[in-house]
Amino acid sequence: MAVGTPSRPVGAPPTPGLGVYDAARDAGGSWAVMRGFVTSVRLGWQMEANWTDPLLFVIYSVAKPVSSALILVFMLEVIAGEAGRSFRSFVVIGSALWAFVMSGIAGLAWAILDDRERYRMLKYLYVSPTNFLVVVLGRGVARLAVGAVGAVITLAVGVVVLGVPFDIAAIDWPLLIISIAIGVVAITALAVVMAAICIQTRMESWSYPEAAAGALFLVSGAVFPVAVLPGPVQAIALVNPLTWWIVGMRDALFPGGISSVGGIGTVFREWFGHASPAPNETILALLATGALATLGANVIFRVSEHRAKDRGLLDRTTGS
Amino acid sequence: MSAFVRREGGSPLESATWTSRQVFMTNLRTVGGRAYPRVTGMFREKSWVFFEILLPFLATSAFVFVYRAVEAPREYIGFVVIGGAMTAFWLNVIWMMAQQLWWEKSQGNLELYFAAPMSITAVLFGMAFGGFVMSSGRAVAVLVVATALYGVEFAIDQWLLLGGVFLLTMSALYGLGMVLASLFLMWGREAWHLTQLMIEPVYFVSGLNFPVARLGLLGAVAISTLPLAVGLDAMRQLAFAGAPYPEGTPAPEVEVLILIAMTVVLLAIARWSLAKLERMARRDGKLSIRWQ
Repeated sequence: MAVGTPSRPVGAPPTPGLGVYDAARDAGGSWAVMRGFVTSVRLGWQMEANWTDPLLFVIYSVAKPVSSALILVFMLEVIAGEAGRSFRSFVVIGSALWAFVMSGIAGLAWAILDDRERYRMLKYLYVSPTNFLVVVLGRGVARLAVGAVGAVITLAVGVVVLGVPFDIAAIDWPLLIISIAIGVVAITALAVVMAAICIQTRMESWSYPEAAAGALFLVSGAVFPVAVLPGPVQAIALVNPLTWWIVGMRDALFPGGISSVGGIGTVFREWFGHASPAPNETILALLATGALATLGANVIFRVSEHRAKDRGLLDRTTGS
Repeated sequence: MSAFVRREGGSPLESATWTSRQVFMTNLRTVGGRAYPRVTGMFREKSWVFFEILLPFLATSAFVFVYRAVEAPREYIGFVVIGGAMTAFWLNVIWMMAQQLWWEKSQGNLELYFAAPMSITAVLFGMAFGGFVMSSGRAVAVLVVATALYGVEFAIDQWLLLGGVFLLTMSALYGLGMVLASLFLMWGREAWHLTQLMIEPVYFVSGLNFPVARLGLLGAVAISTLPLAVGLDAMRQLAFAGAPYPEGTPAPEVEVLILIAMTVVLLAIARWSLAKLERMARRDGKLSIRWQ
């Protein structure tokens, strides 16, 4: 043995080579992963909300989605007046659900930027025993929760103030629960992609998640039916998991309303041969597109992580 | 002799006393120096083109399709396009002006700014200029591409007035950014949430995608307090001269006067608040944060 090289304890796993997967980091099994996740969720929540007055925090969290909904409501009111009231429910529900998407997509990317640029802790988190992706996911949960509260309150404002028809007895609970479960996974996958991008970019990428969410807004049927888009863009919308999540949530919470997918002369009808998707088709489509997004996100994150290590991006701070 | 060469003086006090030319030139250099990383950084970060130009264009397109879905008159699509272009400047003011001093404090640069022999107002002017250049690319891209793609037809009778309104709107917007920069620095961590609060809610009260006068009293308050609201309204009236506007909409000439008043008042408040902030920060030792 060379002089100065520490000896490895008997029975310990061999030290991995440079750039080789270190199994020791994931040692401890699912319990250790869960503990790491819960700790980063707590950390995220403390950073988000431990400093403020609860009322103020709620105002901050709700003003954004409610205003987004009001912009659309006024756009309809200006053009269609009374005639646009049926479409009002459609845009209020869509923009409320979108608040959740926005928070979810931005949360992970901002966690990366916060920890790297502001607190300069990303490198320490990276070398901690917990899996890096688990830490990042945990840090994003707080913003996802804030987004969920914003979405629920916007829906409540829509029902109470803006006259969105709502019947609690009409809710399709199985569809709602399945849509939420798969939808959260799909949104998290898109958030992981944004986090992977923000690991590579400079500090100015604060606005990137919102820009990406804004672009997905166009191809998700959130505030207008996908049918008004040109054919090729409709096709993109149909492979977007957010489109199916919104369809599922709309059909579950407000059955009988205008559907954002389908209609005469649409790509959906061309592909599937009927006017609008049935609930089981919605779930299948959400599952398929969500699985694709999740697998893609995992690959993209791993590639980004490897490149960041290779180029020393986890330890840099930037500014302009 | 260059303004930057150290003059020989009889005493340290005499050497430290700068001429007006030296002060002016140093501040001018500060403006250029602070604008430089923003303009240069734009060319170094290639992802900026995709995320700051292409994607916001798609977001603007979403609102165009909302109007198309309800078969709105064509000028309303033009309203959305102008609104989409102007959001570039508002986002820049919020993210890269209002938050910037607080951010510099977190990064450990703020005390260096205050220690350097330059005016902090010049630093903010530099940020504003650099930010304006950054945002202009996005605004022009949204305006040109969306106009071509969605067939927007402008009806402009008074080009000069339109240009003047745009420049005045920018002056007032970045003046507001300077005021917010010092306020956000005082509010600390809450600044982050205030940033969030100042995006969609401000878009709504500014009438980003519809004539602001439709908001009634709220619209009137917005026109008298928010440069984005009054600037957008004036530009729309000048860009779509023949379009009908809701009763109560002020004439563009009146809005020009409002913008001039806003610019003067906001720049004066910015200057005052920055000086006050500097005094407070020096007195209370708050130029840096605890862990640095």
